[in-house]
Amino acid sequence: MKTSPFRAVFNRRSTAMEKYLLAIIIGYIVIVALKNPLFFSVETLFDMLRSGSGVMILAIGVLIVLVSGGIDVSFTAIAVVSGYTSVKLMLALGIDNILFAFMVSIVVGCLLGAINALIIYRFNLPTLIVTLGTASAYHGLMATVLGTKSFPTGAMPQSLVNFGSTDLIVINSDTGRYGLTVFLPIVIAVLVLTWFILYRTMLGRQVFAVGSNEESASRLGINIFRTKLFVYAYSGALSGLMGIIYFSELKYVNPVSLVGTELMIIAAVVIGGAKLTGGEGTILGTILGIVVVQLFQSTLVFLGLGSSWNDLFFGAVLLISLGVMYYRQRIQDRKNLVFATA
Amino acid sequence: MNSIARLVARDKNLSVLLVMTAVTLIVLITLLGGRFLSAGNLQSMSSQVSEFGFLALAMGLAMLTAGIDLSIVSAAVLSGIVGATVMSGQLVPITASNSNTLMLVGILAALVTGMLCGLLNGLLIAKVSIPPILATLGTMILFTGIGMVITNGQSVPIAISSYSALGAATVANIPIIFLLMVAAFLVVGFMLRRTRFGRRIYLFGENDVALRFSGVRNDRVIILTYVSIGLLVGLAAVIMVSRVNSARVGFGESYLLQAILVVVLAGFNPYGGRGRVVSVALGLILLQSLQSAFTILQFNPYVKNLIWGSMLLLVMVVNYYVARWNPRGAAPAKGPGTTTVIPPESAPSAAAETHRSPDAVSTGGRAL
Repeated sequence: MKTSPFRAVFNRRSTAMEKYLLAIIIGYIVIVALKNPLFFSVETLFDMLRSGSGVMILAIGVLIVLVSGGIDVSFTAIAVVSGYTSVKLMLALGIDNILFAFMVSIVVGCLLGAINALIIYRFNLPTLIVTLGTASAYHGLMATVLGTKSFPTGAMPQSLVNFGSTDLIVINSDTGRYGLTVFLPIVIAVLVLTWFILYRTMLGRQVFAVGSNEESASRLGINIFRTKLFVYAYSGALSGLMGIIYFSELKYVNPVSLVGTELMIIAAVVIGGAKLTGGEGTILGTILGIVVVQLFQSTLVFLGLGSSWNDLFFGAVLLISLGVMYYRQRIQDRKNLVFATA
Repeated sequence: MNSIARLVARDKNLSVLLVMTAVTLIVLITLLGGRFLSAGNLQSMSSQVSEFGFLALAMGLAMLTAGIDLSIVSAAVLSGIVGATVMSGQLVPITASNSNTLMLVGILAALVTGMLCGLLNGLLIAKVSIPPILATLGTMILFTGIGMVITNGQSVPIAISSYSALGAATVANIPIIFLLMVAAFLVVGFMLRRTRFGRRIYLFGENDVALRFSGVRNDRVIILTYVSIGLLVGLAAVIMVSRVNSARVGFGESYLLQAILVVVLAGFNPYGGRGRVVSVALGLILLQSLQSAFTILQFNPYVKNLIWGSMLLLVMVVNYYVARWNPRGAAPAKGPGTTTVIPPESAPSAAAETHRSPDAVSTGGRAL
């Protein structure tokens, strides 16, 4: 019996973490909807899709790094640096083209990611500390060389503003006009591409192998350096892509924003079931993790709680999820007489 | 010559750090002269370094156990907010008669909050087995969240005027808070070098499974370590609040990167088991001198970021080469600061040899 490769996608079993997150999301939505029926509207959905697009792309980059057994905290810096470089270049050369913006930004992001990989591999250093260093170095370098002048809607390249306002579907209602953002197909493309790389190519298998056990992977003949180079360059390229989306969504170019939110995004991916020890993590889990964060960020208002409650809610959910995930692991390990902390 | 090489090889990281600090100080003094060495600058340097010193020490303790504590700054801010709320007169109106008692209660509240934050981290790591980086990432967000809910993002001012005087008070021109930090370094240094608990912190970082099977209650070591971190964080909060005379969410966020920078600069191994309090002190001197020099030279904060980031990378690369450098005739290193490591390549063969040796097999047989 011949099975199509896509059969596996629909027949796959959800991980425990995915089910648990789905339960949280559904429960939360029911509570919010009971409290405030206004929540159930196409408008809310379109709004969340628009504001969540950039974060989703970054989260995919984080996921692939976590799967490879590392942790990257420089991706927000890379996003801002490559986006800002691209905008500066467009203004300097007078090229007002959205494709050019994406191209420059992605190339710069890719390069910065590759530098991360080089340092990590060459000196065999902990990824967290390296990327902590490169994040300040990249951002500081950008600020020193290019400055930190922000560009309001009028001063930034027109193509970026136009791109950010492009809608796929427009719905007019008595509350106003709102549309489905053009970012959505980009996000879907990124998700499909990453899924394909991770689960349908040798490269993806190698990323999982390196994350699970670098020593075994290298003995299998996997080129560790090439795999890591791909992982960090890909994550950098996604950050570059997100940089342009971010600026065109806000219609405001501010090179000192975004940096500082990286731990929040990593937390969202971790909630989705990716493990810091590498080799584990799913795209569906990552999507659910981001949905949880976005839900808290945009809907606590519907519950009558101010935005001050965001962090408290998210922190609590994060700790409880981590607790459930790792406590189960602990019990399992103790049963098998494994005492090592991974 | 030989004896110098031996001395250097005893603790390579410390030697490198010592040279780096000396060179930096000489360069800064020649470049800036009186502006750097003035009593005013030295005094402001020593009071600035104090609050940060506690946080760096706390990060160092976490790294000795092969962990990391991302929550130190947000825990310090939360402790500061709790302390400041007590001293703000919002809970109990402040009168001339109760201001001293309230001040004490405020300080105690900050310290206890810090320790409770540490206890939560310790429990999550030791009893629930969440990796330290994730546990403290979660508590970092949680503590910030609690602080936000208490203050609504507003700053909490302190209504007791004598409290801010405490932050500025000096003994023989040395700020009291600086002396407090020196005392903390001495106590932690003594604890790590001379007590059973300190020894266990190092051993846990080296090999926690071996420590467990030596009959040590691992969980207790970790919980106690994180409670100590919490106490240091609480002290940092007390000083922070007295210097700024208020507390608010978001204060001192840049300290997290800098704390990691100092500790890595001091030669702490992020995988645990290596690092000395003396080196943290040296790292602090280096960082603070650069910090003041940047202020005197009026660098903007982004240039500072660039320099901190590049320094962090540079230090790790230098450490990488230093670890491979082995001067001829140097005695094998001793002590937890510089234990010799078996290179990963040779480890499997060494293990295989042990297995082949008849002694090992027979003892193994007897044990079973």
